[in-house]
Amino acid sequence: MGPLIPNGVIPFEWDNIIAILIGIAFGFVLEASGFSSSRKLAGVFYGYDFAVLKVFFTAALVAVIGVYYMDYLGFLDVNQLYVHPTYLWGAIIGGIIMGVGFVAGGFCPGTSLCAVAIGKIDAIVYVGGIMVGIFIFSELYPLFQPIYEGYFYGNVTLEDSLGINPYWFVFIFSIIAIVAFVISDMVQKRVKKIFY
Amino acid sequence: MKKELKQKSKHIYWNPYYGGFLLGILILFTFYLTGRGLGASGAMKSSVVSIIESVAPTHAEESSYYSKFITEDESPMKNWLVFETLGVLIGAFISGGLSGRIGWRIQHSPKITSKRRLVFAVIGGVLFGLGAQIARGCTSGAALSGMAVLSTGGFITMLAIFGSAYATAYFFRKNWI
Amino acid sequence: MVKKKIAKVLAFRYKILAAILILLAGGLVLLPKYQKHEGIKPEELLSNTISPERYMTTDRLAHILINQDPSFILIDVRDEKSFASYSLPNAINIPLEKLFDEGSDSYLNQNQFDVVLFSNDNFYADQAWILCNRLGYKHMRVLKGGVNEWYATIINPLKPADNMPVTDFELYATRKAASMFFGVVYPEQVKVEAPVIVKEAPKKVITIEKKKKAEAEGGC
Repeated sequence: MGPLIPNGVIPFEWDNIIAILIGIAFGFVLEASGFSSSRKLAGVFYGYDFAVLKVFFTAALVAVIGVYYMDYLGFLDVNQLYVHPTYLWGAIIGGIIMGVGFVAGGFCPGTSLCAVAIGKIDAIVYVGGIMVGIFIFSELYPLFQPIYEGYFYGNVTLEDSLGINPYWFVFIFSIIAIVAFVISDMVQKRVKKIFY
Repeated sequence: MKKELKQKSKHIYWNPYYGGFLLGILILFTFYLTGRGLGASGAMKSSVVSIIESVAPTHAEESSYYSKFITEDESPMKNWLVFETLGVLIGAFISGGLSGRIGWRIQHSPKITSKRRLVFAVIGGVLFGLGAQIARGCTSGAALSGMAVLSTGGFITMLAIFGSAYATAYFFRKNWI
Repeated sequence: MVKKKIAKVLAFRYKILAAILILLAGGLVLLPKYQKHEGIKPEELLSNTISPERYMTTDRLAHILINQDPSFILIDVRDEKSFASYSLPNAINIPLEKLFDEGSDSYLNQNQFDVVLFSNDNFYADQAWILCNRLGYKHMRVLKGGVNEWYATIINPLKPADNMPVTDFELYATRKAASMFFGVVYPEQVKVEAPVIVKEAPKKVITIEKKKKAEAEGGC
């Protein structure tokens, strides 16, 4: 019955070793999908390469469908999984700032690490920038504290906050994703090709 | 010239659906093993905290934000996400090495200079670092792992990131196309 | 020829993949739903069951009742008819088949009181105990021997024979005193007092809200 480590099936000492192994797989998949290239990443915003959208949505869909199937079959308890907490305005404001940073820098933290690993100097600078950003946040923490800690809705899922059946939501979500894939392919055909 | 480039930029990366499928399986596997999702910016936060702690320990203890992550007996670097990030570096290095993508270079659009690219990378990094702290997670930690368990916060973060990125993409177009 | 066929199939591969995705997602919607059991694991239930803690003797119960210990709730799991004809003082009637009705949850699933279940003997009370324990309800006890044992020991204690040890006599004396408390009149008792009516203030029950476990830690 999963999750295995919180339930003590795998001893806790293995946690860090498993972290490294999972990290290796994560880094490998990201790099091999082309996420170490900032121009490929930025392509999603200009319509010349939709790899980010495709990888991102496929991954989320596979994961969520898998989680619910495993829950159904009794391998995994959905209620024991960590649910990212909802701080409404923190998520919105932080997300908006991150979006600007994404377009300006062309990376997100995970992908920038992949690019650092293969020697992209712009990525190294970008990681330095992230650290500076964290430093600024920490120094000005009293200023950000109301957004950071306010508007807390708990570790809620869409089931709790919207009252929809998660199974139906997954089904609708997958249809939306497929429609998005088709549209993105159509857009990509029209936009001028860019080689990088 | 162009044909050559086209051949070069074709088939060097995985099919995005294949990559996405493997990534999804990996997230599922991570949830099955550890009950938590993936993350990336957490490790950078830990490094910042430990740098500040070693440079200015009293300041770190007084600050209301750093002190959250400092414990008496353990260094902030001894953290799940730090180990996972080490793994990411190794994994990306292996993948890049296998397909011959390793090398020092600055990737940028031919229309802009390297310097401009680096300046914008720093600006983007600072903004992303700031935003990731406010939202308590980045694209992998909040959006991707959050979406995998249908977290409301994860969906909001994802929509906010992509919404604002599309909204501001026009102003940065010269950097990319 | 074969190659052509493969190529034809491959041309449709994204459509096929999309169909598989929709099928899998649709499967989640269409799968027959079953009520997932909530509550403790079988091993835990077993260890709870074996534990002698789960029984309460009639003597102990009598002691509690006489002292009017406010931290106990008595629950009679027999049907209403038996409950109406006789029950222990201050007991609440929750018949076994109504154990999981809306109203009874607030008595059973709480953290404030110790719950003592009883029936005519152990049998139905044990069943109720197992069901409640499986759901993770805390502080459940069963009255050993139930109402029958209550009669045999407290209300109508057996007078020990002369050759029995002194402890038995002491026990008899306590039980007899207890039975007098519960309104039994003995022939040697000349002065008949009105049976003491034990009345307690109605208990206020606070239901625990189940919290979501969040043991695992966050992303970044």
